[in-house]
Amino acid sequence: MEVEVFWQLKNITMRFPGVIALNDVSLDIYKGEIIGLIGENGSGKSTLIKCLSGINQPQKGEFYCQGKSVKIINSAVSQKLGVSTVYQEFSLVPTLTVTENIFLGRLLKDKKGFVDWRTMHEKTRSILDTMQIDIDENAIICNLSVAEQQLVEITKGYTANGSLMILDEPTTALTTPEIKRLHKLLRKLASTGHTIIYISHRIDTIMKFVDRIAVLKNGMLVGIVDISEITMDKIVKMMSGRQITEHYPKQRNVQDEVILKVENLTTEIGVNGVSFEVRKGEVFGLMGLLGSGRTEIARALFGVDKVTGGKIYFKGKEVKFNNPQQAIEARIAYITENRKTDGLFLNFNGPKNSTTARIKKLFKSKKLHILDLKKELKTYDESNKQLVIEPPLEYKFVSFLSGGNQQKVVISRWLFAEADFFIMDEPTQGIDVGSRIEIYNLINKFTAAGKGVLLISSDHLELLSMSDTIGNLKFGKITSIVDARDAGEKNNTN
Amino acid sequence: MGTKLKKKGIRVSGFAGPLIAAILVAVIVGFTTDRFWNLGNLNNLSLAVSITALMAIGSTLVIFTGGIDLSIGSMIALITMAMATLIKFEGWPVIAGLLFAVILGAILGAFNGLFSAYLKVPPFVATLAGLSIFKGVAFLFNNGSPIFSIAGNFEVFFYGKLFGIIPLPLIYIAIFYIFFALYMNYSKLGREIYAVGGNEIAAKLSGINVKKVKFTTFVIAGAMAGVASILMASRLNSGSPNYGSGMELSAIAAAVIGGASLLGGRGNIINTLLGALIIIIVQNGLNLNAVPTSMQSITIGIIILIAVLIDMWKTEVAELFKKYFGKEA
Repeated sequence: MEVEVFWQLKNITMRFPGVIALNDVSLDIYKGEIIGLIGENGSGKSTLIKCLSGINQPQKGEFYCQGKSVKIINSAVSQKLGVSTVYQEFSLVPTLTVTENIFLGRLLKDKKGFVDWRTMHEKTRSILDTMQIDIDENAIICNLSVAEQQLVEITKGYTANGSLMILDEPTTALTTPEIKRLHKLLRKLASTGHTIIYISHRIDTIMKFVDRIAVLKNGMLVGIVDISEITMDKIVKMMSGRQITEHYPKQRNVQDEVILKVENLTTEIGVNGVSFEVRKGEVFGLMGLLGSGRTEIARALFGVDKVTGGKIYFKGKEVKFNNPQQAIEARIAYITENRKTDGLFLNFNGPKNSTTARIKKLFKSKKLHILDLKKELKTYDESNKQLVIEPPLEYKFVSFLSGGNQQKVVISRWLFAEADFFIMDEPTQGIDVGSRIEIYNLINKFTAAGKGVLLISSDHLELLSMSDTIGNLKFGKITSIVDARDAGEKNNTN
Repeated sequence: MGTKLKKKGIRVSGFAGPLIAAILVAVIVGFTTDRFWNLGNLNNLSLAVSITALMAIGSTLVIFTGGIDLSIGSMIALITMAMATLIKFEGWPVIAGLLFAVILGAILGAFNGLFSAYLKVPPFVATLAGLSIFKGVAFLFNNGSPIFSIAGNFEVFFYGKLFGIIPLPLIYIAIFYIFFALYMNYSKLGREIYAVGGNEIAAKLSGINVKKVKFTTFVIAGAMAGVASILMASRLNSGSPNYGSGMELSAIAAAVIGGASLLGGRGNIINTLLGALIIIIVQNGLNLNAVPTSMQSITIGIIILIAVLIDMWKTEVAELFKKYFGKEA
């Protein structure tokens, strides 16, 4: 097969105060290929992308586009060179329509100088049609699902003549069929000569799909693997530098005693008569599409959304939580889907983040309500022994921590709050393999201690592997409850 | 790597910026006139800074939660008038009048808090309404005329001196700032104020009663306006519906110059005092050099811009510092 080198990265080095984010990275990207870029958090993936998109300028190294040396001094230059980047956080304007977003910043005008909406609508329609995307060009972005928004974002890059398309973690919010649809679209783009850099944490999805995988570790390119040689173990080892024999180290610790029982739970938004039981030491997985009511069930259980019908029994007693305070008092933990917007206090360091849910534990005495800050540091150090949050520097704002470490800080909060039941909504979203496995081991620790876990995840493999029982959710209703092992087999045969 | 050293470094640098700025300003002003480093002038300075500084404590706490309080200036007008009326015309004992001032402030703050925290009116709007309403109410007293000579010796609260040396306002500043600095650091509410400002959703999901926290900061802001009202009334032994006008902005400026983020969650109460000092020293310096008021106002505006610019470009400024001075700022 004849390959044409499209982009060449030579000795790219990028330093930030105190860290080398990219260390002498050289990489050839071929025309029309889909190249996967993986690495644990902090390995330099995002920085590499930012250099290509003109957001960061490396101190050393050169870029060659089709053999010519190019200087990517800003994002405008990058776009002119045909680089289009789809970030994890979409750059669409939520209140505008699909067409408006696609032509944002380069509106077509007619001869008189007026904006030519008709042509733009027609163009958008025809592009969406050729890409076989079934979205109304007049739809307002915020009314679209996450998956649809992503397709719009890709379409936007495509219409901007993106010859090198970079997708940063495109599958985090997508369900399996949606991922399949995305992959089909990307293949199609690649076959028409577009080159795609595909960044993902999910090795299982990436390895089935890309042509080559470039692995980054600590800012260095540790290897490029061809599709024919890709194995999970090999990549995991390259990424983390350690042998990981089990990706899902599931332990089964289910006891007989029921810890949480939900009967006909109904809320105003999204939950329509849900019933299930979670026993001590059990991981109950909620499987369903985005918007099927997974998060809404979590919110109802935690006293965030108002419960309009049904009953919740916790530790044998009927409970009614009007607010999160009461749920926390009852020893329920809620690890939210989006740790940056709903979980972390980015203005706090690790210790302060870890004590917010039960800060009265820090009181010097029952009468003297003065916070014992030394105790705060000490308990954080102790929980750090269990969680291995790196770097363990307690004064550092959590905004400087990697995704995996941030998630551990969130978990440390609920350990500090002495929770007995953990609601975990996408607990491994956007975090590296090493931290994922550590979080799975924590789940095992919880279940071994007789705690209950309600697991919500879009990652089916994770959900089936780590759960004991699976509740299938559709339109806010649980349609069936099955043993996770049976569900897993069924999933494999499909 | 000296973890401990670094830790200390972080803590110190929390104050370093505003402190260096305050000292720098004082030194510069000292160069322009020999009347600056003069006991009488410093005494005047401490009196001048006291009212804004006390009001700024409340503004800062509200800002820490991500809110804003525009009404505390008008509170001064209303409270001085009400207090003067009660003491002078209704024959209340002075001490009762003082207590009343603080309580009335808290009640007015509760009014702001009710609307902005519980009834979801954005704080900017709720307190803008408060600014207008409180001012209007202030004019209802004594047919809208100032009330002079509230009580014999009422000036003592402002001009009095401890042991005949230390101006009382300095004592108030010390007491309140030390108390609130400790309170913000070592109390549950203090922590919750920062948490709410840092991430309101996360705060709610951590079981923090967000509305109550916000409400409380407005009540504190009101009570501090009450304390400031006492000094204001004492200064000229009078109450006036025109007192306090625009002072809410000086208080906010003090917080901002001290590095408090209007987005909430970041800042330090002591820095607000330094911020207030910077404003007053500059004003004093300009006064001593006979610079017209118009220039003073322009200068304060420029200082606000510089302070926020430095805050926004902190890392870059630190880099420059490193480059030219060879070590970290």
